[in-house]
Amino acid sequence: MVFVADPNVADNWNEIREELAEAFSMTKDAATRGEPIVYIVRGDDLLGRDGIGAAIVATALLSGARTASLELRESAINTLAIEKESSLEAISTWVGHLLAGGPRGELVRLGGNHLGKALP
Amino acid sequence: MVTGAAGGIGSAISHRLAEEGRRLILVDMAPDLARVATELETSTMVRPVQADLTTEEGVQAVRSEVQELGSLELVVNNAGITRDARLANLSGENFDLVLDVNLGVPLRLIESLHPLMEAGAIVNISSRAYLGNFGQYNYSMSKGGLVGLTRAYALRLAPRIRVNAIAPGLIGTEMTKAIPAEVREKMVAAIPMQRMGTPEEVAALVSYLAAASYITGEVITIGGGRSLSR
Repeated sequence: MVFVADPNVADNWNEIREELAEAFSMTKDAATRGEPIVYIVRGDDLLGRDGIGAAIVATALLSGARTASLELRESAINTLAIEKESSLEAISTWVGHLLAGGPRGELVRLGGNHLGKALP
Repeated sequence: MVTGAAGGIGSAISHRLAEEGRRLILVDMAPDLARVATELETSTMVRPVQADLTTEEGVQAVRSEVQELGSLELVVNNAGITRDARLANLSGENFDLVLDVNLGVPLRLIESLHPLMEAGAIVNISSRAYLGNFGQYNYSMSKGGLVGLTRAYALRLAPRIRVNAIAPGLIGTEMTKAIPAEVREKMVAAIPMQRMGTPEEVAALVSYLAAASYITGEVITIGGGRSLSR
């Protein structure tokens, strides 16, 4: 299962809650089926650079992936942070790697906009 | 202004800020708020607000108190709840409730109150669980979301207002006393400092961040080294 966070979610609690509730519902269903999971977020949102709502969703998903990974030892649940300039090819390649298993609760960041900045 | 002021950590924060001579707006749903307010009334001016901050009326009640006081320098978003369950058993109701209280309330409060602040600081009480914690998918997400909220508001409100987060680990409160002794002992054994933290230690960090004039957008863990140990 791949959940793509909406980077345009408004700074409004109802929209944020709906986005996170959808991620929860899809994660629970996928975990029940034993499927690997990847959350895709914007790297800029992990650092709070764009909207408040987008930052909340991105960092909440990262925490959710780490907690779910502690519980679901048979499934790989990871987070992929992309940039606006990330190519579809790079994104699909890394989604494929993460769905294939191995890393658990990991954050992979494409591009270099995070370098020299806060660790998640 | 301190939310969750009647709880273990919230009460310690309130006492610490009162000792510093700050005028306080203390907010909680619990009737125990009156006791905390009475304890502090001898040392500073205290305005207790018993309100449900998940409602618009509750947020408005706090805003009205701030407007009556005329100024606001510090917001401490401390109120939080847990409804623990493994992901497979976690209900939608408990997912929504924990996120609404732990994450929705700070968002609504900051949106409502920051226009009333000329300058100052916001301190959000997150949790070490934002790094991941078994059986706490909802709580972990809510506290992780607070990290993003902290960073985004730090950028948006600088240089007028500083925004930081604290991520406490196991802190000795009434909530942790409810953990079975055997389980608690195992948890403490995994902490390099070999003890739980105290609410007063968290309160001291809040006090520090309230005055730390060049720190913003940071998350400071106070967990006795538990973020490193096995």
